[in-house]
Amino acid sequence: MTQHSYPAVELRRASKTYPGTQGPFTALSALDMRIERGEFVAIVGASGSGKSTLLNLLAGIDRASNGEVIVGGHALQGLSERALSAWRGRHLGIVFQFFQLMPTLTAIENVMLPMDLCDRWPAIERRERARTLLARLGVADQADKFPTALSGGQQQRVAIARALANEPLLLLADEPTGNLDSRNADALLQMLATLARDDGLTIVMVTHERGARAVATRTIALADGVVVAEPAHG
Amino acid sequence: MADACLRLLWRDIARHRSRSALVVLAVAVGLVAAGAVLDSWALIGRATEVGFRGSLPVSITVGVDRVDAALLDDVRRLPGVAAARGRRMLTGSVQGHGAWTPAQIVLLDDFTDPSMARLQGDAGRWPPPEGAIVVERSSLELAGVAVGEPVLLRIGTGAAHALAMSGVVRDVSLAPGWMEHVVTCYATPGTMARLGVPATFDELQVRVADPRADRAVVRRIAATVAAQVARHGGRARFVDVPEPGAHVHAAQMDALLMTQGAFGLLALFVCALLVVNLFTAMLARQTREIGVLKTLGAHHLQIAGIYLGQALALGIAASLLALPLAIVIGRAYAAFRAEMLNFPLDGLPVPAWAIALQVVVGVLLPVLAALVPVCRACRLGVGAALRDIGIVADGQPLAAQRWLAMAGAGRGVLLAIGNAFRRRERMALTLLAIALGGAVHLGASNLRQAVVASMDLLFSAQHFDASLRLAEPRPIAALEAAARAEPGVANAEAWRSRRATIARDGDQVGSTVTLIGLPPTTTLMQPHVVSGRWLREDDGRALVISRALQRQQPDLVVGGDVRLALDGLIATWHIAGVVDAGPAPLAYANRSILSAEDGLATSLVIVARTPGRSALLELIHALRGSLADAGMLVAESQTPGESRPIVEDHLLMVVAFLGAMGWVMIAIGAAGLASTMSLGVIERTREIGVLRALGARDRSILGIVQVEGLTIVALAWLASIPLSVPMAVLLADAFGRIMFPLPTPWWPQMGTSLQWLAVMVPVSIAACIWPAWRAIRIPPARALSYE
Repeated sequence: MTQHSYPAVELRRASKTYPGTQGPFTALSALDMRIERGEFVAIVGASGSGKSTLLNLLAGIDRASNGEVIVGGHALQGLSERALSAWRGRHLGIVFQFFQLMPTLTAIENVMLPMDLCDRWPAIERRERARTLLARLGVADQADKFPTALSGGQQQRVAIARALANEPLLLLADEPTGNLDSRNADALLQMLATLARDDGLTIVMVTHERGARAVATRTIALADGVVVAEPAHG
Repeated sequence: MADACLRLLWRDIARHRSRSALVVLAVAVGLVAAGAVLDSWALIGRATEVGFRGSLPVSITVGVDRVDAALLDDVRRLPGVAAARGRRMLTGSVQGHGAWTPAQIVLLDDFTDPSMARLQGDAGRWPPPEGAIVVERSSLELAGVAVGEPVLLRIGTGAAHALAMSGVVRDVSLAPGWMEHVVTCYATPGTMARLGVPATFDELQVRVADPRADRAVVRRIAATVAAQVARHGGRARFVDVPEPGAHVHAAQMDALLMTQGAFGLLALFVCALLVVNLFTAMLARQTREIGVLKTLGAHHLQIAGIYLGQALALGIAASLLALPLAIVIGRAYAAFRAEMLNFPLDGLPVPAWAIALQVVVGVLLPVLAALVPVCRACRLGVGAALRDIGIVADGQPLAAQRWLAMAGAGRGVLLAIGNAFRRRERMALTLLAIALGGAVHLGASNLRQAVVASMDLLFSAQHFDASLRLAEPRPIAALEAAARAEPGVANAEAWRSRRATIARDGDQVGSTVTLIGLPPTTTLMQPHVVSGRWLREDDGRALVISRALQRQQPDLVVGGDVRLALDGLIATWHIAGVVDAGPAPLAYANRSILSAEDGLATSLVIVARTPGRSALLELIHALRGSLADAGMLVAESQTPGESRPIVEDHLLMVVAFLGAMGWVMIAIGAAGLASTMSLGVIERTREIGVLRALGARDRSILGIVQVEGLTIVALAWLASIPLSVPMAVLLADAFGRIMFPLPTPWWPQMGTSLQWLAVMVPVSIAACIWPAWRAIRIPPARALSYE
C-alpha cells in the first residue's frame, strides 16, 4: 500500500489533557477527524475551544494523551522527539501568527533554512528554489531584506514560502492573518486557497477570520474540545 | 554546516554584539592571566634546560684542606663520577666607583673546562688574564665598575690591590649578585698568588655521570668522594649536595609559579561562570527561535551545532586577542624571573606546545561553558519552546522580602530584592564569581597582615642596632673588647656562624645548615619560641632550629637528635626548640660549643648609646675603622632598619601579586554583574513598561536596578567571608612553601571585610549604571509591546 492511499490527517479518539492547579484540564476530548489530501480546512472556535491544541497535535508539538494522531500515514505518538523533528522538516510546513522569521537571516535565507536543515535539495539548487517560492508569493523583490525591513504581510508571505520550502504534505497555519490588516489578510487567504487548489496542498488553518470560511473547502468548529459543527461547503 | 545555518550563527553573534564582546573579553582576560603564567613557566623551563642544565652544574662540593692532582685523578676514577675539579672561594671586598662591597672571588685552574659548570663570557675578555679579574654579570652594577676600568680588590683583611676588570661572565649556577649583595669575581690562581694569596684549592667539586640521578644516588656518590678524600689523608669539612638539576632558587620559583598558575586557573574558572551566564541568558531569549527551528525540522545536534559554533567562534576570537598579550606579559615575567635565577632568556621562543595549549583552552572553554545551557535548550520540547514567555515569578515572596516589608521597606526595594532571585541559577553563578574574587582579595589581605606581623615578630626579636660581618673569623674576646672600647657602643656581642652538613644514616650526606653561635644568655636576640625552649648555659650540643629549617627538614623535631658534620667531624646534636626566624633555614647553638676549637667569631652585633640613624651610621663607620686598625676587617654592616625593607619587600612582592589576582577576579565579577543586570533589564522590559505606565519615574527605575545589583553584591560579600577561609589556608600554605611558614589567621579581620564591602558597593553601582540607564530609556509603548 502506498502512502497516498492514506488521508492527509486522521484523528482517532484523540484527547489532550493538561495538568492544572485546579485539577486536569481537557483541551480536546476523544476527537475523530479525517482530512483528505488537497483539502483546505479552517478550524474555528472561541478562545479555549481547543483549536491551537489540535494544531499542536497535528504538528507533533504536543502529544495526544489518548487516541491516535496519524498524519500522512505516520502515527505521531510512536515517534521520538528526534524523529518528530525530522518528520516535521520533511512533511510539514507551519505558519505562525507572529511569523517567527529568524531576525538575523534575510528573507531568502529564511526560506533556505529548512532546506539546509533537512538536506532535502542539493545545496546548489536551494537559493534558486527559495527565489522561485518568494516570486510565487509575490515577495521576490524583498529576497535580500531582513525581516525587520518587511511589512507584516510581506513577512507572512516569506513565512509561507519558508513553510513550502521542503514541499510539505501538510501546511498548518496558526492564525496566519491574526497580525495583518484586512487587505493583507484577504490576499493571504486567497494565496493559501490557490496553493490548495493548484498544488493539491493540504492546509489546516486555525483562524478567527470570518473570510476564511469563504476560501476554505471545509470548516470545522470546535467548542470545549469537541467538534460542534462541520458545515458543508459548496 | 549549511549555508543558512552558518549565516544564522554569524549573524546571531553580530545581533548580540555587546554580549558576544563580553564573552570574548571574559575568556580573553582569563586566558591572558593563565596564559601568561603558562608562557612564563614554559620559557623558564626551556631556559633551565638550555641555560642551567646545559651548563652541566656541579653535583657535589666537598670542603677539603687541599686538592691535588692525585686526589682529582682518583676521584675521577670513582664509579658514577663524570668530572672533578678543584676550586677556591675567597671572601673579600671590591671597590669600583662607589663604596667597598662584599665580594667572593672564584679561583679555578681552567675556566674554559667544558666538563662541568660551564661559564659563558658575556663581554670583554674571557677567561680572565693574569693580573685581572672578571665580574659575574648579575653583580656588575653592584660592583660599580665597567669593563677595562681599574678596580680595588681586598682579600680578607689584606691590603687593597688595583686590578683591571677585563670582562664580564655569566655563571648560571649562582643566585644573582644584586639579590645576594655580593660581587662574584673570577681570577686565576696566578693572579691571587701575586697578591700573596695561597693558590691552592680547598673545595673539591664533582659532577656525577648520570644527569637523571636523584639526590639519594648523588649523596651515595658524595660519600664515596668523602671517603676518597680521607684515603688521601684529608678530611671533608663539609659535603654539599644540592638538588640535582635544580637551580638554587628553583624551588621557590616553582612554588610561586604554581600558586600563580592556580590563580590563573581560578580566573579561567570565574570567566567560564560568566560565559555560562551569558549563554544561558542568550538561549533564554532565543527559546522561541529554537522552537521554530525545531518546527522547521532541525534536530538537537543541528541546533546545538549552531550555538556551540557561536561559542567556538567567540573562543577563537578570544584566543586571537589573548594569545599575543599573554606572550608579551609571560615573556616579560619570564625575563624578570630569569633575572632572579640568573639565566639567559635571550631569543628563546615560547614553546609551540604552550601556544597550542592556550589555543585549545581558549577555543574549548566557551564551548564547554556553553555546553550545559545549550544542551538544556536543545532538550526543551518544541511546544514548551514555542510557548516560552520568558521570565516568570513563582509567586512566593522571599522570607527576606516579608521581613523587609514588615520593617517598612518601600515597594521598590521589595521589587528589586525579588527581582534578584528570579533567575536563581544566574544569580548564583554571578554571586559565586564575585565571591571568589572577594575570597582571593580577603585571603591576600590576610596574608599581607600575616607577613607584616611576622616581620614585626622577627625584628622584635633583634635587640641590637647593627650587625657587622667580618671578612675573616677573629677571636671573640678581642672583637668584643675592641667594640666595647668604642665610646658610642653600649653593648656588643660576638657571634659565630658555621656551615654544617646533616649526616644521614648509612653512607649518605644530607643538606647543609647554617649554625649561629651566640651566648645562651644573650639579651640581644630573643626570638619567639614556637615549641620547646631557648638555649641554656648548660647546653652542650643543643640546637634551637628555625621554623623554616623544620619545614625543610620535617624529621627535625623538638626532643629529637640530629647528626651534624662540622669540618668533617660528625657529632649528635639535641634539638631543644623551634623559633620564628623568618625565611632563613638556620639553627642557633651555644657559642662556646661552636667556637670551642678556635675561640673565633664571624660577626658582631652592637647596641648604640645614642639613638638616631645618623649617630648610628657614624658609630658604625668609627667602629669599622677601629676594628680595621685592630686587624679585624668588616666585610659588611647592616642595621635592622636597612634589612627589614629588603626582606619585607621581597615577601610583599608575592603578596602583591596575589592581591592583583584578586582585583582581576573582582573585575571579572563586576563584568558578570553588569551582564546579569543587563539581561535582567532586557527580560523585564515589559514589566518596566508596566511600571512606567503606573507612573514610575526614572529615579524609581534606576533605584530598582541599583538595589538589585547591591543585593547580589551584599550576598556575594557574605559568601566571600567563609570562602576566604580555605583561600587563606591555601595561600598561607603556598607562601610557606615559597618563603617561610606564617602564623596566618584564617578569618579575615572585620575591618578588612568591611573594606572589601566598601570597594564592592561602588563597583556594583558602576556595573549597574549601563543596565539602569538602558531601563529608563525604553519608551513605555515599546516596553509594553515587548515580546
